[in-house]
Amino acid sequence: MPYKFLNKYPKKFRGTGIIVPFGMAVKRMIKSTIHRPVTIMYPYEKEWVPDNYRGRPGLRFEKCLGCGICVRACPTTCIELVDVTDDKGNTVKRPQVNIGRCMMCGYCAEYCPVDAMTTTTDYELAEFNRKDLIYDPHRLAFEGTNEMMEVHISEHLLSNLAKGITDKPVAFFETDRPVLDDTKCISCQKCAKVCPTSAITMVVVGTNAKGREIKHPIIESSKCVSCENCVINCPKAALKIKEVL
Amino acid sequence: MNENYDTDQMWITMGPQHPFSHGLWTLRVKADGEIITDAEPEIGYLHRGWEKECENRTYAKIIPMADRLCYSASMTWSHVYCKVVEEALDIEVPERARYLRVIADEICRIQSHLMWLAAVGTDLGNLTVFLWALREREFFLDLNVRLCGQRLTTNYPRIGGVRNDMPYYFERDCMRCVERFEKAIWEIIKLTDESSTFVGRLKGIGYLKAKDVANWGITGPAMRGCGVDYDVRRDDPYDAYEDLEFEVPVLNKDNPMGGDAYSRYMVRIEEMFQSCEMIRQSFNKLKTIPKESPTRIKVPRCIPAGTHCAKIEDPRGESIMYLVSDGTEKPYRLKVRSPVFVNVSASRHMVKGVRIADIPAIMAMIDMCLGETDR
Repeated sequence: MPYKFLNKYPKKFRGTGIIVPFGMAVKRMIKSTIHRPVTIMYPYEKEWVPDNYRGRPGLRFEKCLGCGICVRACPTTCIELVDVTDDKGNTVKRPQVNIGRCMMCGYCAEYCPVDAMTTTTDYELAEFNRKDLIYDPHRLAFEGTNEMMEVHISEHLLSNLAKGITDKPVAFFETDRPVLDDTKCISCQKCAKVCPTSAITMVVVGTNAKGREIKHPIIESSKCVSCENCVINCPKAALKIKEVL
Repeated sequence: MNENYDTDQMWITMGPQHPFSHGLWTLRVKADGEIITDAEPEIGYLHRGWEKECENRTYAKIIPMADRLCYSASMTWSHVYCKVVEEALDIEVPERARYLRVIADEICRIQSHLMWLAAVGTDLGNLTVFLWALREREFFLDLNVRLCGQRLTTNYPRIGGVRNDMPYYFERDCMRCVERFEKAIWEIIKLTDESSTFVGRLKGIGYLKAKDVANWGITGPAMRGCGVDYDVRRDDPYDAYEDLEFEVPVLNKDNPMGGDAYSRYMVRIEEMFQSCEMIRQSFNKLKTIPKESPTRIKVPRCIPAGTHCAKIEDPRGESIMYLVSDGTEKPYRLKVRSPVFVNVSASRHMVKGVRIADIPAIMAMIDMCLGETDR
């Protein structure tokens, strides 16, 4: 593969005058006078953004489990789980995002096991005070955009969101499962309480010397989203995440 | 009059608010009239504690942080980080991801060099070059948006592959953009390379010999402009570079004077053409790999204890990351070797003997980026 620039321009012709650059500038001037302008009237017209654009995070409220994977995946720790009321009047945990700290990396959408977190095309995020930059779960909702471009991506596409397609894209991190160390378990049932998908059921496996029941958790693999809440909350570290590679 | 009072030499502080310093840094120069006799770069205004921050993050969370090392070479910085972790884990990246990384890296190299060309234009008082180069750069940033979702902070490479496969029609758009660029860059070249004012300001200043390059540890286009034939992409190939055919531009191989600022300019322009060629070849190779093949493999969270080093060719030089892992899911230490940090240390050598008005022209050829220099 020969040089393209270094061979084409012999050394002696370099820097010979100002006529050629001046001619180029005049040519471009005439061109840009005839053709339509490159710039757009920004606040009135907007630049086209593709479907996989990583603007602010968005949330699909009804899909979210409140598992907290996004909280742990966030590099800037701008997400926290808060208690909110849903449509049925129940108090549920949903992520709240501090947009002022968010660096739009898209990890929350990438790691979300049910694709409730999405990245949106919303990029005009300026507010008059910092309080307004904190988006509560209801405000995070994003209705989606029109179909623009299909993209190979693990997150949920916004055009699909608008069309109501809820097919789950390929999950990448969902194969990790918690495993139990029987000798350490103290039958406290904490794991069953914190599980967002109620995949854990406590099963009586016997009685101890005092006649009390010994209960061990059984994890239903189809329900588990590998959020690791049980692993984090286990007081005796009896549960451990087992990575499937 | 006191005859012993030394008035013929004085220290002038250029920066941190001087228009030639792209970013916050200071070049203190000792001037004898108009001739520079000594110089001293001062950096550290943008120190963010990047390396220490990394010790507090898990391995996956450092990738978007590595994007922030340099605003125009974000792809190569997150790439070198992923590469050092992959070396620590001893895993192979899927073949499709290897080519996608090359394409992403070369798009990044072209847009970084165009940003440099725009900066050279303003430094030398040619605002037309600035506007035209940034116009061309915009097309490559649009490709970045299509591929990765963001213009500058791409967050595209992942440990064990890339974030996503390329979108539909990306190949068509990318090749249109590259073919358009290969024609449009000649307009800019005619504006710069045929102008006697532009070339006259770059020629014959800031000489560096091959010996100085070795002594100061200069890498990148500055090194290749001085006759040292070395490129990490060719001599220590990573990812898919060993399957590609490309030429490494080297100038002034037999020149006893070494390379001047103008030769560094020429090397960078030629590198943009070679990058276009690499993108074209990568797409041709990607056609042979089935679309269903994976672009990413799953990696364990914890990395076995040990020390690892990875280097890749940044647009500015050779960037190295050195990782010390202690077996947990966070790095024990992550050291960054920034090419600009090393190149700017040679500024004393380069500006000695030139006039004050030549300093912007010499320093523009370093392609200063303070984010990676101060970290």
